[in-house]
Amino acid sequence: MATAAQRRIKSVSYAKYGYIFILPFFVVYFIFSFWPLIQTFILAFSENGSRTPELIGFDNFKTILAKPAENDFKAMGIHNSFWNGMKNTLIIWFGNFLPQIALSLLLAVWFTDLRVKMPGKGFFKVVMYMPNIITAASVAGLFLSLFGDSAYSVINTLLRSGEGEEALKLISGCWSSRILVMFIQVWMWFGNTMIMLMSGIQGINESLFEAAEIDGANATQTFWRITFPLLKTIMVYTLLTSMIGGLQMFDIPYMLHTGMVVNDYIKTVAVFIYEMFHNNFAKPSFGYSGAASVILFVITSILGALVFYVQRDKDAIERKKKQKQAAKEWKRKQKRGGGFSI
Amino acid sequence: MNKLKKSLALIATLAIASTAFYACGDSSSTADSSSSTPDSSSSEESSDASSEESSEESSETEESSEAEAVENKVPETGDKLSILCWTGDDVEKMIENFTANTDYTAEQVEYVNVGSKGQEAREQYANYFAGDEDVDLFVLEADWILDYINNDEYTAPLSDLGFTDADFDGCYDYTVSIGTDNNGVLKAASWQATPGGYVYRTDLAEQYLGAKTPEEMQEFVKDWDTFTATAKKLQDDGHKIAMADTLAGMWQVWQYNRDNAWLDADNKLVVDDYCKTYAELAKDYYTNGYVTTEDAWTDGWYQIGQDDSTMGYFFCTWCLGAGSMLSNAEGGEAGPTFGKYNITAGPSGWAWGGSWLALSPKADNGTIARDFIKYFTVDTATAKDYALFKSEFVNNPDVMKEIVDEGSNKNALLGGQDQFSILYESAANIDMDGKITAFDSQIKDAFNTAVTKYAKGEIASYDEMITEFKTNAAKIEGITVE
Repeated sequence: MATAAQRRIKSVSYAKYGYIFILPFFVVYFIFSFWPLIQTFILAFSENGSRTPELIGFDNFKTILAKPAENDFKAMGIHNSFWNGMKNTLIIWFGNFLPQIALSLLLAVWFTDLRVKMPGKGFFKVVMYMPNIITAASVAGLFLSLFGDSAYSVINTLLRSGEGEEALKLISGCWSSRILVMFIQVWMWFGNTMIMLMSGIQGINESLFEAAEIDGANATQTFWRITFPLLKTIMVYTLLTSMIGGLQMFDIPYMLHTGMVVNDYIKTVAVFIYEMFHNNFAKPSFGYSGAASVILFVITSILGALVFYVQRDKDAIERKKKQKQAAKEWKRKQKRGGGFSI
Repeated sequence: MNKLKKSLALIATLAIASTAFYACGDSSSTADSSSSTPDSSSSEESSDASSEESSEESSETEESSEAEAVENKVPETGDKLSILCWTGDDVEKMIENFTANTDYTAEQVEYVNVGSKGQEAREQYANYFAGDEDVDLFVLEADWILDYINNDEYTAPLSDLGFTDADFDGCYDYTVSIGTDNNGVLKAASWQATPGGYVYRTDLAEQYLGAKTPEEMQEFVKDWDTFTATAKKLQDDGHKIAMADTLAGMWQVWQYNRDNAWLDADNKLVVDDYCKTYAELAKDYYTNGYVTTEDAWTDGWYQIGQDDSTMGYFFCTWCLGAGSMLSNAEGGEAGPTFGKYNITAGPSGWAWGGSWLALSPKADNGTIARDFIKYFTVDTATAKDYALFKSEFVNNPDVMKEIVDEGSNKNALLGGQDQFSILYESAANIDMDGKITAFDSQIKDAFNTAVTKYAKGEIASYDEMITEFKTNAAKIEGITVE
């Protein structure tokens, strides 16, 4: 017979402490992440120009998405700046992602290749990751003083020979500013992507590389036949995170300007969202900001789904299909047998 | 033991969880405001009832002897006067001067730094107003003052402190009209006027133009046609030198040449001939090198003052003190152009910014608040003291006239010239009555963005520029554009 103490121990469940310990996370999550998410959707359907907005339906989406009337300046302003932002976001993201992934992949392969005997690998890895830990504000400040419009910026001091010669206006120029932002994004993030891809490559079974070497494959062949196909999963992950981050790009485009207003050519959707509710304190346009956020959310979801669809494992799906068919076939056979079972 | 563990775990969890609620402490403030509402109404009643009785507070002040003196309705429950601002440049100096010359101690007056600027300051203010922190007075900027003084939740009339409109008769009219709300109630008082002039290089003026004194230089810049002609002459003579510092600087002057406000009575955007005049002028200046291509508020802006890139700057009162913009443009005391500048009135009268003191409805230090505002705006003796103390252009023509007549003010940055003697004349010409709107800062941004693109040639025609301006302005909630 169990003693009283033993009985008590049996009835004590330690599970509740687990719940108590994870409770703070969920409380914080619901207050600071989940509720704001819901709130954004509510705001997307709310009026503008008020701090306590009322619901108005789909008007905000209509203004942003529909083609505005000829002299409706308001609709034109909102519509144009949203699509201008969308255009800039996509241009800057593509111009940042493609070189970034190429550079990171190349470096990752070099750093993991056993045949490349590079001294100081650790040092290079750290140095390449370094730009990522500088805050965006400092980076923007740095690039402003290096490539600034001013005749006294570093680049203009170097390039200008005479006194009255015109200064290069890289920061306020259209493509020059976009390319600068792309460059900054690549420079800041390629180290991060490289580390990610390196871990992916290191996850590939070593014997595959050895086997390839024994079979006489050269470096290019090894890369295209072994490394690249087996790296697919991690590449998809990189593509997805980069896409989500890229569509929400805010800090560098927002800060890379002199003067009072953000440069139109690098104004991203996130900057548009921020400005719409932030620039007019007395009458903030929460509605347009919310609607733009929701549109961005939908676009991100669609693109994400698309990536998954394209990268899906076709063989596995084929296998599953066959399995299902076989199961059906078997069932049919059973039925045809008139229910007799042996 | 088990209990101890349990309770420790519980406490730790609660402590972590409670951090989630930090900064959400609005509940107490709502209770506060609801309890303060009957408070203020009762004080109003009592003030009506006791209009014949002289209160203790007003008997201390001079105005109590006057028949029309209004009673100070603000309660006395607070322990210190809190003044909110986004920069300590002014307020800290004011407190220093105020406490030195009155019986109040530094402990009784507190500067609260809201720690940001422009639009961010406004959000910080909103947080302070919603919370339960002590707010008595706060500083407003010309660009967005109207949002505040026309909102009774944010500002209380100065008459609550016992001021009458007549008290501010000595101030510059334009500061009073900006501080008055749509119903004609005075809500904010400014301690400064901010007239500006043209600050130019004396050595270059003499070398290139032969102008030896500010009076002679004024002849070269007396109006905009002459100013342009002088700029053209410098270029034609082969000098690679601009007359104006930046497009932004020119704009500061030009916005005072407007005949209309940006918005009409129905909040509809007004696009008049002025826009064309200014846009064409800006383009002309930019393409011909009459203005430098630098941006304001950058290092380059100050650099052009040290080499020979510009003849001068458009600077106002608060650009001329120690450690200010002029000082930066000269490269500091050891700089290449230190003291080589003089000031003249320039082509047209203008002012730049300005700050107003407003009273919070939550104020709870009536006497100090009243004395503080009175010290800097109404009382001429103390205002003069402050003017000399901070080299400030105070909001009182008589005081400034006195200082100019005494001739005691010498500005080392201007080679010993007294800037007040020039600016005193300009200040009289500032007329902003009915010309500012609550949306000015954003409309100006939209206009200047379009004009700058036009000047740089990124926008080909004036009509396209206006369309760009209108579409950008139309995004501002609360105004209509046709």
